[in-house]
Amino acid sequence: MSEKEVIVGRESLWTKSGRKLLRDRAGVAAMVVVGIYGIIALLVSFGVIAQDWDKLGEEGFEGMSAAHWFGTNINGQDIFARALQGIKTAFQVGVVVAISATAIGGILGAIAGYFHRTIVDEVIMWIYGCIDAIPFYLFVAAVAFALKGAEFTVPVLDLHISLAPYAMHIAMIATFWSSTCRIVRGEVIKIRGLEYIQAAKAIGVGPLTIIRRHVMPNTSHLLLVQSTIAFVGAIKSEVILTFLGLGVKEGVSWGIMLSESINDVLRGHMGNFLGASGFLFVLVIAFNMFADALQDALDPKKVSG
Amino acid sequence: MTESAPKPVLRIRDLVVEFKTEMGVIRALDKISFEVMAGESLGIVGESGCGKSVTALSILKLIPSPPGRIAEGSIELDGIEVVSQPEHEMRKVRGALASMIFQEPMTALNPVFTIGNQMVEVIRVHQKVSKTKAKKQAIEMLRTVNIESPEKRIDQYPHELSGGMRQRVMIAMALSCSPKLLIADEPTTALDVTVQAQVMEEIKRLQQEMNMGLILITHDLGVIAESCSRVLVMYCGKIIEMAETGELYKNPRHPYTRGLLDSIPRVRKEKLKTLPTIKGMVPDLADLPKGCRFADRCPKVEDRCRTEEPPLEDTEGGGKVACFHPN
Amino acid sequence: METLQYAIRKLIYAIPLLFGVTFLSFILMVHFGPDLTYSILPKSATQEQIEEIRAELGYDLPFLQRYGKFMKEVVTLDFGSSTSSGEKVSSILKKAVPVSFLVALPAFILANLLGILLALYAANHRGRFPDKAVMVLAAIGMSISYLMVVIAFQLIFCTSYGLNWFPVQGWVEPPPDYPDATAGEIFYYYWYYYWSYVAVPTLASIFVALGYNTRFFRAVIVEELNRDYVRTARAYGVRNRKIMMKHVLKNAMIPISTRIIITLPFVVIAGNLVVEKFFGIPGVGLVTYDAITNGDLPIVKAVVTCTAVLYVLALILTDIVYKIIDPRISYSK
Repeated sequence: MSEKEVIVGRESLWTKSGRKLLRDRAGVAAMVVVGIYGIIALLVSFGVIAQDWDKLGEEGFEGMSAAHWFGTNINGQDIFARALQGIKTAFQVGVVVAISATAIGGILGAIAGYFHRTIVDEVIMWIYGCIDAIPFYLFVAAVAFALKGAEFTVPVLDLHISLAPYAMHIAMIATFWSSTCRIVRGEVIKIRGLEYIQAAKAIGVGPLTIIRRHVMPNTSHLLLVQSTIAFVGAIKSEVILTFLGLGVKEGVSWGIMLSESINDVLRGHMGNFLGASGFLFVLVIAFNMFADALQDALDPKKVSG
Repeated sequence: MTESAPKPVLRIRDLVVEFKTEMGVIRALDKISFEVMAGESLGIVGESGCGKSVTALSILKLIPSPPGRIAEGSIELDGIEVVSQPEHEMRKVRGALASMIFQEPMTALNPVFTIGNQMVEVIRVHQKVSKTKAKKQAIEMLRTVNIESPEKRIDQYPHELSGGMRQRVMIAMALSCSPKLLIADEPTTALDVTVQAQVMEEIKRLQQEMNMGLILITHDLGVIAESCSRVLVMYCGKIIEMAETGELYKNPRHPYTRGLLDSIPRVRKEKLKTLPTIKGMVPDLADLPKGCRFADRCPKVEDRCRTEEPPLEDTEGGGKVACFHPN
Repeated sequence: METLQYAIRKLIYAIPLLFGVTFLSFILMVHFGPDLTYSILPKSATQEQIEEIRAELGYDLPFLQRYGKFMKEVVTLDFGSSTSSGEKVSSILKKAVPVSFLVALPAFILANLLGILLALYAANHRGRFPDKAVMVLAAIGMSISYLMVVIAFQLIFCTSYGLNWFPVQGWVEPPPDYPDATAGEIFYYYWYYYWSYVAVPTLASIFVALGYNTRFFRAVIVEELNRDYVRTARAYGVRNRKIMMKHVLKNAMIPISTRIIITLPFVVIAGNLVVEKFFGIPGVGLVTYDAITNGDLPIVKAVVTCTAVLYVLALILTDIVYKIIDPRISYSK
C-alpha cells in the first residue's frame, strides 16, 4: 500500500535488517543459543572439554550423578560428554554442508538466472530437476554405493583419502544446493530486468562482472537464509542417515546416540535418548527461529511487525 | 447551504486512522472531516501516501487490521455509523450502501472464477434471488456498462478480457446492488490512455443516472476537472484545501494546490522552459514536522509555519484552506 | 481429449528429465556402483568363473552398451533378481508396494488435510494469538527429529512404560484358517490388525509432517489473502468464510496440490524407510533398507529408478491439475 513507501527509511538493507533483527526478541534469544552451541563446538574441537567421551566405565547404565550428569550408556561412557561431542559433529556436518551447498546453489542459480531462457539455464534446471527426482535417503544410499572404495588422491604428498566416510556429506551437498539454486535463480531473473543491470549491459560491462558485482551481492541475503536452512537440514538428516546406517560411522553423533537409545529405552534407560534429543531439539529449534527472524529482518517488503 | 439541500450520503467527522509500524504508531489520517451529498461527485487528490486510499478503505472499514485501525472519529453512511458497526453488519453495507472500484482491474478480479460467478456471488450476497435470476441481472448490468454481447462475456474469465473491459466489469459489479455512494480509487490509472476517457465517461453517466454520491480518488487533477463538482486536496494525512472545482482551478489558495496545478503539463500560450515541480520530498509520516506539514517545501514559508499547525478555515471563495497565508 | 493431448505434450517435454534421472541412476549405481563379482562367487572361484560372472553382469561391456542394458531393464521393469535372496526384484516389490501404500496413506491424507485446516485457521487470524500459537507449535514440530518421535511414540503407545495399547512391531499376518469364518469376520480381522499395526506409525508420521505442511500451506494462504481480489470480495460484502473457502482456497490449491502430488511417489514407492525399519513393516522402505545394508544393488537400483520416473510423471500430473484449476493456462503452452 502507498503508506508503506513513506515509512521505509533510506538506510541500507543490511543495517536496517540488523536493527530489525536485534529488536526481534525471539530472534536474539535464538542467536544466543546458537552462539553458545558454537562456542561449545569450538571448545570440544580444540580439546578443552568433553575429551573422555569414549572412556569406558566399570558399570553401564548408571543414573544421573555429579560425575555423570546424564548418567552413562551401556558401556559406562559418560552421556553428557558424548552429547557435547555430538555438538561438534553436528556443527562439522552442518557447516560443511551449509557452506558448500549454498555456495554451489548460489553460483549456479546466479548463472542460470542471468542466462535465463538460454541453454545454460535449461541445463542447470535440468540437473536440479533430475536430482530432485530421487528421494533423498535413496540418493545418499546411491552415493554411498558409488563412493565405496573411491579415493581422493593428493598427488604431491601421495595422500590417499578414502571418500566413503564422506558419502553423507557429499550426498547432502549434492541435494541441498538445488533449493538455493532455485531461489537465487528466481531472484536473479527479477533483478536482471531492473534498470541498473540493463544500464550496465548497455555500457558494455561483461556478464561475469555483472553477475559478480551487481547480481550476487543482491542475493547474499537469500544465501544467508538458505545456509541456515541447509544447516538445520544437515543436522536433522545426519540423525536419520546414521540410524539407517548411512551416516556417521566414526566418533560420536546424536544420530549414533539416538540409534543406541532405541534398545535402551525399551529397557527403561532414558539417558541416551533424553541427552541426545534434548541437545538436538534445542539446537534445531534455535536455528529454525534464527532462520525465521533472519528471513523477516531481510524481507524488505515486510514493514509492520 | 439552504433548507432544500440534499441529504449527505456520507459524513466524516474528525476521522483518525492509525497504523502500527516498527517505527511506532503513525497517523495515516489526522482528523479529517468532509461530506458527500447524494448525486454529488467529490474528487480527492494528493500524492501517494497522503491518505487518499486509506480514506476510501476506512469508509467501508476495509483497513487491514492489524496493523491499521480507526482510532477516533465518526463515519456516517446514509445515517449509519460505520465505525462502531460490527463486521457482520458491515457486510450488508459493503456493496449495497457504498461500493468501490479499484485501481488494478488486472488483479482486483479473482483469476480462477468467471465474471458471471463473481457477479452472481455479489448480487446474491445482498439480494435473495435464485442463481439464474442473479445471472440475468448480472447480464443486464454488463449491458448497462456497455459491454458487448454480455451473454458471452459473462462466462469468460478475467484474463480473457481487455483492461478497459475488466474495469467495466468492476463497475458493473460495484453497481449491481444500486449503492448510494460509489468510491472510485484511481479507476483509470492502470488503463490505456485511450480507454481512460471512456471508462470515466461511463462512471459519470451512471452516477448521474443512479443519482449516487461519488468519491473519485486520483492524483490526476485533469480527471477531476472533468468529472467532479468539488475537490479535496490531501497532504500527509490532512485535508489542506477543499473547494468547488472551478474555484480551485481558477484560484488555488494553498501553495501546495498551486504547485500541483502548475505541474500539470498543458498547452499554453507562452512556452515554458521546464515544467515547474514542487521541491523537496513528502515528509515521513512517522517523523512529521511540528508546524505545517508542507512547511519544508513551501515557497512562502514563515517562522510561524514551523511552529504552529494551520487550522482548516473558510475562505471567501466558499471553500476551506489550511494555510496561514493563502492566496 | 484436449487434456489427453496436453498430457502427451507434457510427457514429451519431460523426456529430457526422464533421460536425466535414469542416466543419473545409471552413473551412480551401475557405472560407479559396487562390483558384485565377489559377493556372488565363493572365495575359491577360478579365473574362468570370475570372467564368466563378470560377463553375465555386463561388467566387461563398454559404457554405452552397459547403459543400453540398464535402460532395457528400466523399460521392461525387469531389474533381475535380488543378490541376497535370489527372488525376482519385481516380485519382491509387488509384495512390498501395497504394504507401503497402506502404511503411508492414512498419514499422508491426514497430515495434508489437518495441515490445510490448521493453515486456514491460522491465516484467518493472522498476526493474532491463534496464528502465533499454531506457528509456534509448527516450529516445535519441525524441530523434532523423526527418530525422536518414533522412539517416543513407541515408548508411549506400545510399551508397558506407557499406555501399552499397540504391538511394538510387526505387520498383519494372514488370518488363521477357520473353515467357517465368514467374509465379515475375515474383513474384521484384517481391519483390526491393520489399524493396530498402522496406528502408531501413522501418528508419528502425522506429527512429523504436520509442522512443515501447516507452515507451507499457511504461507501460501496468507499470500493469497493479500491479493487484490480478496479486498474486492470484501468490499462487495462477501462473507469472510466464503472468501476463505471459495476465493482463497481455490487459488491456493495451485501450490498446495503441487506439493501434495509431488510428494506422493516418495510416499508410495520409496516408502518410509524410518517408519518401516523402526516398526518392522515389510514395505518398500524395509526392503530398501535391507538392500542398502546388504549391498543388494538390483533392489536399490529398481527402487531409485522407479521413484524417479514416477516423480517425473507426478510433475506432469501437476501440470494437468494446474490446467484444471487455473483457467489462465492454455492447452497450447
